[in-house]
Amino acid sequence: MQNLAEASKLKGETATISPIFPSYYARKWKERTTLTEQKRARIRADRLDTGFGSFRNVEVSIGRVIDEDWDEPMGPTPMPEVTTLRDWDHKLLKRYQPSYMPACQLCCLCTFGKCDLTGGKRGACGLDIKGQSARIVLAAANIGCAAHLAHARHLVDHLIHEFGPRTPLTQGEGVDIEAPVSRLVTGIRPRSLEDASSIIDYCETQLTHTLSAVHTGQEGSWLDFESKVLHAGMIDQVGMEIADLVQISTMGFPQSDPEAPLVEAGIASMDQSKATILCIGHNVVPAAAITDYSMEHGLQDKVDVSGICCTAWDITRHDSKAKIVGPISWQLRFVRSGLADVLVVDEQCIRTDIPLHAAKVKTPVIATCDKSCMGLPDRTNDDVDAIVADLVSFKVPGVFIGDHSKVGEVVVKTALAVKPKRKKKSSLPSKNKIKELAQTCRQCSECRRACPNDQPVMEAVLAASEGNFGPLVDVYDECIGCARCESACPNEYELHSWMVTAAKDRWMNESFKVRTGRGAIKDTEIRAVGQPVVFGEIPGVIAHVGCANYPDGGRAIHDMAEEFAKRRFIIVLSGCAAMTVGTVKDEEGKSIYERRTGAFDAGGVVNVGSCVSNPHIAGAAIKIASIFAKRNLRGNYEEIADYILNRVGAVGISWGAMSQKAASIASGFWRLGVPVIVGPHGTKYRRMLLGRADKAEDWKVYDARTGNQVQIAPAPEHLFYAVETMEECMVMTAKLCFRPNDTSRGRSIKLSHYIDLHERYYGYFPDDVHSFIRRESDIPITLKDKIHVHMKEHKWQEKPIPDPTILQRMVYGGGDG
Amino acid sequence: MMRAEPWQTAEVCGPKKAQSLEKPVVVKALLKKAKHPLLVVGANSLTEQTRKKSMIDYFIEFSENWNIPIVATAQTIKAFKEKGFKNVYSHNAMEITYLLTDPEWMVAPKKGPHDLVMTFGFPYYMEWLMLSALVNFSTEMKTVSLGRYFQPHASWSFPNLKKQKWNDALKEILTKNGGKK
Ligand code: SF4
Ligand code: SF4
Ligand code: SF4
Repeated sequence: MQNLAEASKLKGETATISPIFPSYYARKWKERTTLTEQKRARIRADRLDTGFGSFRNVEVSIGRVIDEDWDEPMGPTPMPEVTTLRDWDHKLLKRYQPSYMPACQLCCLCTFGKCDLTGGKRGACGLDIKGQSARIVLAAANIGCAAHLAHARHLVDHLIHEFGPRTPLTQGEGVDIEAPVSRLVTGIRPRSLEDASSIIDYCETQLTHTLSAVHTGQEGSWLDFESKVLHAGMIDQVGMEIADLVQISTMGFPQSDPEAPLVEAGIASMDQSKATILCIGHNVVPAAAITDYSMEHGLQDKVDVSGICCTAWDITRHDSKAKIVGPISWQLRFVRSGLADVLVVDEQCIRTDIPLHAAKVKTPVIATCDKSCMGLPDRTNDDVDAIVADLVSFKVPGVFIGDHSKVGEVVVKTALAVKPKRKKKSSLPSKNKIKELAQTCRQCSECRRACPNDQPVMEAVLAASEGNFGPLVDVYDECIGCARCESACPNEYELHSWMVTAAKDRWMNESFKVRTGRGAIKDTEIRAVGQPVVFGEIPGVIAHVGCANYPDGGRAIHDMAEEFAKRRFIIVLSGCAAMTVGTVKDEEGKSIYERRTGAFDAGGVVNVGSCVSNPHIAGAAIKIASIFAKRNLRGNYEEIADYILNRVGAVGISWGAMSQKAASIASGFWRLGVPVIVGPHGTKYRRMLLGRADKAEDWKVYDARTGNQVQIAPAPEHLFYAVETMEECMVMTAKLCFRPNDTSRGRSIKLSHYIDLHERYYGYFPDDVHSFIRRESDIPITLKDKIHVHMKEHKWQEKPIPDPTILQRMVYGGGDG
Repeated sequence: MMRAEPWQTAEVCGPKKAQSLEKPVVVKALLKKAKHPLLVVGANSLTEQTRKKSMIDYFIEFSENWNIPIVATAQTIKAFKEKGFKNVYSHNAMEITYLLTDPEWMVAPKKGPHDLVMTFGFPYYMEWLMLSALVNFSTEMKTVSLGRYFQPHASWSFPNLKKQKWNDALKEILTKNGGKK
């Protein structure tokens, strides 16, 4: 650097940054990084004369980020590679063993195959069904991680282009630990977009490795596949955290604001007198270009912008006047209704056949993301007015535009011009038409057989043929909008549209309020609740996250959230789950967000935001360890995960998890020691991580004070677990909040919730209560008599309350585990 | 009678496919042979409509007749407890599936290990996966799916029966008169 500076006749400030952390870790760091990565030199110059010419206000930066002002010592595992945390993973996987339910017993991934893996047979490459099942789990985690990471990379590059590499990053006031997951994993504090880019570089390298492990003839052990699943999940959390941090810092989103705006949601919230633009997907950049263009040109009275899926969250975080139509499962009904004048698709979870359905209602489609061009012509470099003219005259059904600054102008102009021409044309049939068509139903049941939720579609069609549309409305209520029924129908009935027509009164009037994503949890909030959470007096932090693959339109999520908020748990939400929870209103017409505070506190209902906001939930757990317990988090993954596993009663629930992204999100939580419950369709992830409560030897921890191994209750009992019903989910949620470190008061509070829910839904006093009682003071006072009888029956004996850890090296005075 | 093929679209299985349960007498033969059979019932048992009795009553009668313990998943256990029935155990569907892949595991002392497992009352896709775990990892175990629809991963399953026919078959298997040893 010095030479470059000299050679360039530098005039201005020069800074060379060197590692500041202790020599041991610096050595480790050096082993892992190249020389150029250890140092980042930045040169700022008012004027720079080089052989190529003279430049003003130049800024050059070379190398990787090392933070010279951060005095937190570097932990043992900055930027862990694929096997760095393998020991930790194996510890987790020994207690929480994978239980595989293969969806396929064949493998056809290479030309040696197809291979039959039934009955202990091995494929030509030597892989058996357990290895293959684990490999499929890794494939899913990789895909999910890649989707988020590519999204993060796009955001970072785009924002660097817009605002410059040194743009500072912030989560707002009251948040010093701006990126707890990134700090924990990489040892870096991302303070600028440029730092964010370096962190994404690291993530991209890791993902390449975990992805390569899926290739034929690489990994063969289920255990190591699973360890890589956890690695991909951890990397995913970092990528998502960076994605949300950079958009929060630069795009005017709420910054850790418990009172983030209440925004309008539901189809009726859209103003149909205006030209309506619907944005579907996850990447806010094109949607923001649209609202910005309409604001800059004073067109807000003429244009209404709304979203489906996470773009909906992020567009309302950018502009609280934007609307939320609903979750991912409402795409088809809304497109077919014809209410959108223009459709804008970005990335992830969009229906891949959107152009087909949009063409039927003459809604132009603008694809904006290189991941989903949808077969549309690339008009990125064409003149705006020429593109608009072609769309408005329906010469082309849609276009791909890769330049976001152009998207805003094209979309708004097209929406305004096409609205009077298409007149909200709908493809929904009339009831009369449905009645007529339904007469010829072949009663073949193919529709029902295709329905993932076993809906009585045929019966509803037969009722409609007699003019009774009630059963179609009932199916609509349970429908996830997949349209598999109509794909299967030999008569080619548009069955989903029939339901939507039958239920028109319902959805046309649907409007509700949701609190848009607040972003991170403030350090000050963590300071206030850290102790009660760790001691168990706030009985748990419950996160409802993920997609909308559930048949009940969000009622279950609402009822669970309300039940546990009433019990003074902290409820955190994100993604489509956070949307549908708002659809249920009380007698006064208020949604849960209007009834409850958005603060991270007992009884709070906290929407952090979109999919990429999930790390704020992981981050809250990490910050409890860091802020309340004063543990170093920098590059110190194992210790913090061990802390969370043993002390922080957090449970993730993904009631409608659908995607591979949901799989990688869950994997990131597992590695941190946070159990995750999925709804019934979550069984299709085909692998659970289950503890064996009946095996006492699996439930031992070190007491950090003495180094002795101590028997604990099975807590948390499972790491990944699918339930059949909402009732079961509630009982298990309460149980999965137990942690070995609970104080007696905390344990007694948690026990009283578990017992109460178990008695309510299972009809009897749970027969494992004695195993959670360590001493008399753990017993909830109101249940003392009952529990004493139970303890006697089970020959209960007092047990110690350890300072729990599963890492031998965390024993005071050392150890080498 | 419909063909013995998976009921739900695309839920095809691998090379090993269940035998079609044409005659309930097959189940009785399996029961007679089994040392430690187990019945696993899910929450759809609470809502499944049969002609006269609730499914829970059918299962209680069946359990008493053959002395078979029942695992009731989710809140299904409540319906059994309310009727004062004792030979019933609570497990989650994923949990019991996993436990049954352990050749040593038994639902209660001296009541296992289980060589015959009968299932009923889960969403189709969920039972499909549970039985996939058993067919792959409990290769010695026989499984019988008692639902109407063909479950390809069971050892034996009804071939998508019409409701009436299925009711008759169930009655024969589950009730005292139909199910005499
Ligand atoms: S990857 Fe292995 S198991 Fe799969 S087809 Fe190739 S040889 Fe067979
Ligand atoms: S569109 Fe609705 S009714 Fe049709 S298959 Fe999908 S979930 Fe079932
Ligand atoms: S698939 Fe079509 S024809 Fe067949 S029962 Fe259903 S609606 Fe009727």
